[in-house]
Amino acid sequence: MKVLCNRERLREGLAVVNSVVPAKSPKPVLSNVCMVATDDALELVGTDLEVAVRYRVEDVKVEDPGTTVIPARVTLDFVRDLSGETVEFAAAGGNCTITSGGDACELVTVDADEFPVVSRFGEDGSLSLQGGTFTKLVERTAFAAAREQGRYAMHGVLIEIDDDKLKMVATDGRRLAVASAPIDLSGAPAPEHATIVPTKGMQLFCRVITDPLDQVRLAFEENQLGLRTRNAEVFARLLDGEFPRYSAVIPKEVGNALEADGDHLQRKIRLVANVTGDEARAVRLSVKKGKLELFGQSAGRGEATAHMDVEYKGRSADIAFNPDYVVDGLKNAERELVRLEFNDKSSPGKFTLGEDYVYVVMPITMDV
Amino acid sequence: MARGGEESGLGQAEAIIRPLPELVRNQIAAGEVIERPASVVKELFENALDAGAREVRVDLEEGGVRLVRVADDGRGMGPADLRLAFAPHATSKLRAVDDLDHIATLGFRGEALASIGSVARCRIYSRPAAELLGWAVENEGGRVSEPRETGGPAGTHVEVRDLFYNTPARRRFLKRTATELGRCLDVIQRLTLAHDELGVAATHDGRRVLDVEAGMGFRERIRRVFGAELADALEPVEARDGDTVLTGFVAPPRFARADTSRQLWLLNGRPVRDKVLIRVLREGFRGHLEHGRHPAAFLRLAMDPARVDVNVHPAKAEIRLRDERRTFGFLVNALREALRRSDMATPGQVLLDRAARRDPAPGATLPDPGPLRRPDPRERPGDDELRVYEVPGRPLELREREDAGPAGAAPAPPGTEPADPAGGWAASDDVRGPFVVVDRTYIVRALPDGLEIVDQHALHERVTFEELKAELERGPLEVQRRLVPELVEVTRAEARRLEEHLPALESAGLCFSVFGPTTIAVQGLPVRLRRPGPEELVRVVLDLIERTGRVPEGVALLEEVLHSAACRGSVMAGDTLSQDEIESLLRRAARIPEAQTCPHGRPTRVRFAKLDLEKAFHRK
Repeated sequence: MKVLCNRERLREGLAVVNSVVPAKSPKPVLSNVCMVATDDALELVGTDLEVAVRYRVEDVKVEDPGTTVIPARVTLDFVRDLSGETVEFAAAGGNCTITSGGDACELVTVDADEFPVVSRFGEDGSLSLQGGTFTKLVERTAFAAAREQGRYAMHGVLIEIDDDKLKMVATDGRRLAVASAPIDLSGAPAPEHATIVPTKGMQLFCRVITDPLDQVRLAFEENQLGLRTRNAEVFARLLDGEFPRYSAVIPKEVGNALEADGDHLQRKIRLVANVTGDEARAVRLSVKKGKLELFGQSAGRGEATAHMDVEYKGRSADIAFNPDYVVDGLKNAERELVRLEFNDKSSPGKFTLGEDYVYVVMPITMDV
Repeated sequence: MARGGEESGLGQAEAIIRPLPELVRNQIAAGEVIERPASVVKELFENALDAGAREVRVDLEEGGVRLVRVADDGRGMGPADLRLAFAPHATSKLRAVDDLDHIATLGFRGEALASIGSVARCRIYSRPAAELLGWAVENEGGRVSEPRETGGPAGTHVEVRDLFYNTPARRRFLKRTATELGRCLDVIQRLTLAHDELGVAATHDGRRVLDVEAGMGFRERIRRVFGAELADALEPVEARDGDTVLTGFVAPPRFARADTSRQLWLLNGRPVRDKVLIRVLREGFRGHLEHGRHPAAFLRLAMDPARVDVNVHPAKAEIRLRDERRTFGFLVNALREALRRSDMATPGQVLLDRAARRDPAPGATLPDPGPLRRPDPRERPGDDELRVYEVPGRPLELREREDAGPAGAAPAPPGTEPADPAGGWAASDDVRGPFVVVDRTYIVRALPDGLEIVDQHALHERVTFEELKAELERGPLEVQRRLVPELVEVTRAEARRLEEHLPALESAGLCFSVFGPTTIAVQGLPVRLRRPGPEELVRVVLDLIERTGRVPEGVALLEEVLHSAACRGSVMAGDTLSQDEIESLLRRAARIPEAQTCPHGRPTRVRFAKLDLEKAFHRK
């Protein structure tokens, strides 16, 4: 194999691949990048068996097609620190030489047959949408996915196609984010299985969407979700298991409704949360006609109160939330005016943060 | 006695049941009092003490099986006493039944010498100080010789050779020499620690194994017996409740052992091994010990002899307390208070020593670690003085003794001056990074004079636990409700068992509900409780119910839950903490006095003082 590449383009590709390559793995071959040079293209392939990426490097000149497998981290570091504009890869007989100007390094290659097979993006049945739409939905939901514990199926984002809309849902059992956006299905069939993509896969999808205005293609397959951008194909293995029946937990009828400026509310919550404990804390929201009082306290530090004007319909009521949870949602609010609806202090609070964006947070109670 | 139905006239039919000869009676009785050489040592040593000895010498051969010789300089016996010495139920210490209520001597049943005499070759030599000549009497398996005159020093020497030579069945139960010697030494050590005024020398096969001079203090005695490292780390205990007075020392939890060999309870001067008192220690150290470990503590309990019955067991090891509950509470609180003052960090020197030795011997006496014991910064200088507690069974109100004179104050061991005024966890600590984290578990933190390695998980457990406890004490817990309940599969029987206890669980913020015949739904958990997770929690609670048959309320439940969860190793997953998170964790820990061990007793931190580092690099 012999390839001449543009250094900056190559570096970009290697960086993407390295975000997949596991730092430590029981399978050492996974710490490598597989470089496949065909007549007119160079592809970089990396995988940790949960997610996989196939990245096409632009501006290359293939002199001699072939495949080589070399350590991903070292290759990226070396290429990044080179100063020349072009880099040449030449692999032969168990070694791969990287040359740029007068600088060179020689790496020991790994047998290409050991590298796992990564599938190709299947165009059939895939659907097209704007990259920005996809990343926006991920931003609005992925933060609510479970991290440490909880049902396995909640460690990812549920993707559904419903009523000409692409919908994403994530929950860790204490809060739930649901966001959707209209897309053009143009006859593509909706997926037959629940599609739950692990958070790491979602991050990688977003990573390869470099231009939000570009169209990307999504392919729902039986055990993986594929996404294709102009120069990358990413595959994420789906999570098994049953995602909670989320529509049941979104409150339908609520007695109390509050409308406020999202930024303003977020600032006030942060203000009060400064005084509450480091790790676990509750901020109490007390609403009366047109007034919201926020209150937080911590045994070790003291207490804080803040006030703001709100639109309020309902009886005087209290409800307490983990401020981090509320702020997580408010940060992603689509519009200035947000709406909080709830029934009482022990039932869920429903935040409407945009046209197609609902965030439900379970309160903290103090009267067991 | 023959059975009534037998006609005596039948001639050849002899009575089947007959009274036993005295020798056999004594041999059987010996089985109760004399089990092994250590029992002989104990009886003879106590006799020496009761005789007013100031110096006692014990010589052992072959773990005491071949020879136990106890020599004292006590008041001695004349020929009339010697003649009766081996007779059963003959004693100088008790004359009437009423005396049993206020026994001040160690022995009183009059069984010991008779029992020993029936199972060994014995010789007693004795000379009262006022006499010019002494007398000796021998007893070989029950055949007692007439006293004869002989010369020698004042006091009494009792020699017991070839124990159980005439009862092979008992002899077979003896263990290896090292084991029997260990038990003898244990007895000697306990009695040595018990008697400040007493000089004790002990040898085994001619080698000196213990040497304590008359008049050495309690701490010095502990130093001679258990080594300097332990003695220097001891924290004094002083507490009073009416006429019950507790004094002595407790050692930080790192000195705990798998057996109770480093525990000593002296009840009115008598070493006792009582279940209640062992439980007192376990309770006092609760939350600082790993499962199955016994703390090191040396405690003297003085109380009105009328309030305690020591005549429960022939070996006089068990006692029965009147008003046990009140005494229990008083003792536990006094211990906890002392423990809080102790320096629980593992001194780095010990680790260095252990690393340096190829073969780490956790039980071995380690070299003096030098000035590592540091006073708790919360404690003012001179706080070693007596503290007196009035109300047992409740968190104590501290009352400084008005005349805090030197009386009763344990002398601080030399070389324990604080080397570092900022040592220990305290709000004044400079908790600032950067922190180095090793293996996502160990936080290395610079101190003004040395460095400290903190086990992030152990510390986190302790912090969580203490915060939950404090929160619970203030009022109801903050509970994060769940939008989607976490479902945990259990068996039908488990679900039913859990169902009975749901209200108690709810009182500690564990909101479970039964969701089906084999499913438990976790609806909410205390906000601060990050671990264990719902599934683990249900398991832990089920375990608890199975073990104890009940669910304790509130704090006790949380403590149990965190303990068991920690023991199951659920907290091992290494969480990466940011510098800010580490700082915040350390700050939170600084507010908690108990933060030196995690709830199940592993240390949370190891400290290397500058001196340790200097020693490690051979600069000193």
